[in-house]
Amino acid sequence: MGGVDVGGGGKGKRKSLDSEINMIPMIDLLMVTISFLLITAVWTHMARINADAQVPGPPRPDVEQEKIEPEKQLHVMMQGEDKFVLVWKQGQTTVDQIDVPRKDVVTQQGAVEVVRFPDLAAKVESEWKAKGQHSNPTDKKLDQAILHTDNKTEFKYIIGVIDAVYQTHRDLQLGGKTEKLPAFNITFAVN
Amino acid sequence: MPVETPGRRLMGHIPLEFVAKKVSGAGHRSTNASLSLTSMIDFLVVTVVFLLMTFSASGETPVAKGLNLPKAENTLDMMDAPMAAIVGSQVLVDGSPAGNTRAVEESDRMQRMDELFNVLKAKRELWKQTHPNKDFPGVVLLQIDQNVKAVVVKSVFQTAAFAGFPNVSFMVNNLPKSHG
Repeated sequence: MGGVDVGGGGKGKRKSLDSEINMIPMIDLLMVTISFLLITAVWTHMARINADAQVPGPPRPDVEQEKIEPEKQLHVMMQGEDKFVLVWKQGQTTVDQIDVPRKDVVTQQGAVEVVRFPDLAAKVESEWKAKGQHSNPTDKKLDQAILHTDNKTEFKYIIGVIDAVYQTHRDLQLGGKTEKLPAFNITFAVN
Repeated sequence: MPVETPGRRLMGHIPLEFVAKKVSGAGHRSTNASLSLTSMIDFLVVTVVFLLMTFSASGETPVAKGLNLPKAENTLDMMDAPMAAIVGSQVLVDGSPAGNTRAVEESDRMQRMDELFNVLKAKRELWKQTHPNKDFPGVVLLQIDQNVKAVVVKSVFQTAAFAGFPNVSFMVNNLPKSHG
């Protein structure tokens, strides 16, 4: 037991000033807490990577619509084995096209192969800084990236490319706070 | 059993002098060694603080057996949403079978998966009935093995979108960020 000595032993039959704190219940509590936390601990942290299929629908001829200039969209083509092609398109018009040599950085982590494309991530970031349309922190809209892939590509490579596109971050004001969020919203090309 | 006044107790009324003498060492080194509790309690407190900081109240998200999820750095936190998993060629929605991917794999063509579509649509309808005054979030989580072909991924993605779940999230293992 731990004790607290405050000096003096008390006079006659008076209660002693030398009191003791019982440490055993405290140690028991700590032990039980540690056991509970260890048993309920989650060591593998799952997360999610977003892809948005909310694309505008076909125009309705019965409803008169304002003529809105189509926004620039970044098309990421990953059909080739030796390069990615980044294409900025505005509607059907190709604004710019850039080839990025494909350098897969593959690392084995247990049973999972982690695929990274650092060169692609750097190029996407520089492209967004030069041509991105929604960089103002008060602008809640995101630039759109569209991923084109062939049918044989394995999912880990798709995630590698999405991860590289999401590496570009921008400031966004949400409820008075400025947060760093991905600059692009990504979706898949239909064909 | 009646309650009785306790009798004489050892070391109190019965001094057991030879025991006290032995414990105090009788001129030699005492056999009664004291243990310093301070360092032990410090260690326990530090362990409790560490475990509390890493504690997750949401618990572990169940991952279908035999799935190797890919890893990514730029991720978002998990959220509560219907979970579609592709295990081998079977499709499961919240653990219940919802078709398979064989037709897509054999044709090597992106197509709508009818069973998955019906299950997801039913989930959507159910949500709308149970939350009549709320906007449907349209989020579905996909658990897909790292080696699944893109044609299957795109088919599931498109099917989910058609069934009213346009916000598709792929479940991944979180990697620590390697860049600033």
